[in-house]
Amino acid sequence: MILNEAEAVLDPVADIEGFLLGCLVDASTGMILASRKDQGDISLPTAAAGAADIANVLSLLAGELPMDGLEDVMVTFRSQLYIIRLMSEDLDPNILLLVILDRARANLAMARREIRNFCVNFAA
Amino acid sequence: MSQVPGLRRARQLTASVLPTRAADAYPSLAAGRLRKLGTAGSTGMLPFSGSGDGAIYFRDGKVIYAESDRTPGPAASAYKAYADGLPPLGRIMAVRAVTEPIIDAALELFTAQARHAKFRSARLPDVGLVSGIEVETLLAEIGRRQRLMKQLSAVLTPDTVISRNPHPRSDSVRISAGQWALLIRVTHGSTPRNVAWDLGRSVFCTVTDAYRLLVLRLLLAAGQVPEHGLAVMSFVRAASLKKGDTMPVINARTAAEDTL
Repeated sequence: MILNEAEAVLDPVADIEGFLLGCLVDASTGMILASRKDQGDISLPTAAAGAADIANVLSLLAGELPMDGLEDVMVTFRSQLYIIRLMSEDLDPNILLLVILDRARANLAMARREIRNFCVNFAA
Repeated sequence: MSQVPGLRRARQLTASVLPTRAADAYPSLAAGRLRKLGTAGSTGMLPFSGSGDGAIYFRDGKVIYAESDRTPGPAASAYKAYADGLPPLGRIMAVRAVTEPIIDAALELFTAQARHAKFRSARLPDVGLVSGIEVETLLAEIGRRQRLMKQLSAVLTPDTVISRNPHPRSDSVRISAGQWALLIRVTHGSTPRNVAWDLGRSVFCTVTDAYRLLVLRLLLAAGQVPEHGLAVMSFVRAASLKKGDTMPVINARTAAEDTL
C-alpha cells in the first residue's frame, strides 16, 4: 500500500447497491492505483486491464467521429454491469474508475448518479 | 584412465550435481533476492550494476525508492505534493507521481538484467509520507509491464528511433496533452527513452504513448512500413496471469482482508 489512507478512497463506491468490485486505473499505463472487491471470483487485473483497453480504443474513435470527450462507458453482461468513468477530463494521464455491479441487485440509473457524484466529490 | 584434464573433469562433475545459472534464471534470482529482503523486513539499499546502474531502497521490507541511470527519477516537487488538504484525486495523483518513477526504475533494472551487489545499510532518500510498495506488488507490476513491452517490442522499444510522420493519415486526431508534449519533442534521432528524459516522465509511460501515436500514424518507428497499420496494444493480454500469480495492485483491499 502506497498511501495509508488510499484504501478508504473507494468506500463511497462500495456502498452502491449490488457493488462487486471497484478500482482506479491509470489509463496510460494500465496500473491499478486502488481497489475494493467484495466478490472473489472476478479477476481484478483482467477487469482493470479491460477498462483501460476500452477507454484506449474509444479514444481512437474520438478523432474520427464528431464526439465530444468521453464521459463514461457501460457494458452490460447477463449478470453484471461494468461502468467505466473518467475521473476528470483535465487530468493527464487520466484516471479511470471501474465499477462492477451485480445486475440483479443494481439500479443502473441510481448507480450512474452515485458514481458521477463520487467523481465530482473525489476531484473537489 | 580418462584423458580429460583434472580441472575440466572437476568442472564437469560439479556441473552435473550443482544447479547452474542459466541465462534465463535472472528474473527468478533477482526476484528471489527482493523477496528475501521483503520477508526479513530489511532496511537499506540493494545496489545494481552492469548493463544498468541503480539501486532499490527498502524500509522495513517495503520498497520505498528505486533509481536507475537509464530512467528519469521523480520530479523534485513530487514528494511535496503530499500536502494536507488535497482532495482524494489530488492525493492519488501525488501517489502516482512518486510510484511511477520508482516502478519505472525497477522495471529498467530487471529488464537490463543488472547484477545486484551486497545489500547494505544506507541513508534512505527522504520520501515523505510514502509508505512503500510491497515486494510482491512491485514484482507483479514489473511482470505485467514486461509482458506489455514484449507485446510492443516487434515495433517499438525504449531505444527505437522514432520520427514524426510527415504525411498523417487523418485531418482530425484527438490526442492527450501528454501525447502532444511527446509529439512536439520528437526530433531527428529521438527515442522514447530520451523523450522521456526531456519530459521527466517514465520511460514505460512514454513508450506506451509513443505506441498509441504510432497506431494513429502520427509517429513512425525505424523500420516500420508507413502503410502498415499496427494492432492496438492490449493491457488485457499483458494482464494474463497464471493461476496463483499475484495481482499487480498498488493498493488492494478485499472483503476478506476487511474481516481480519
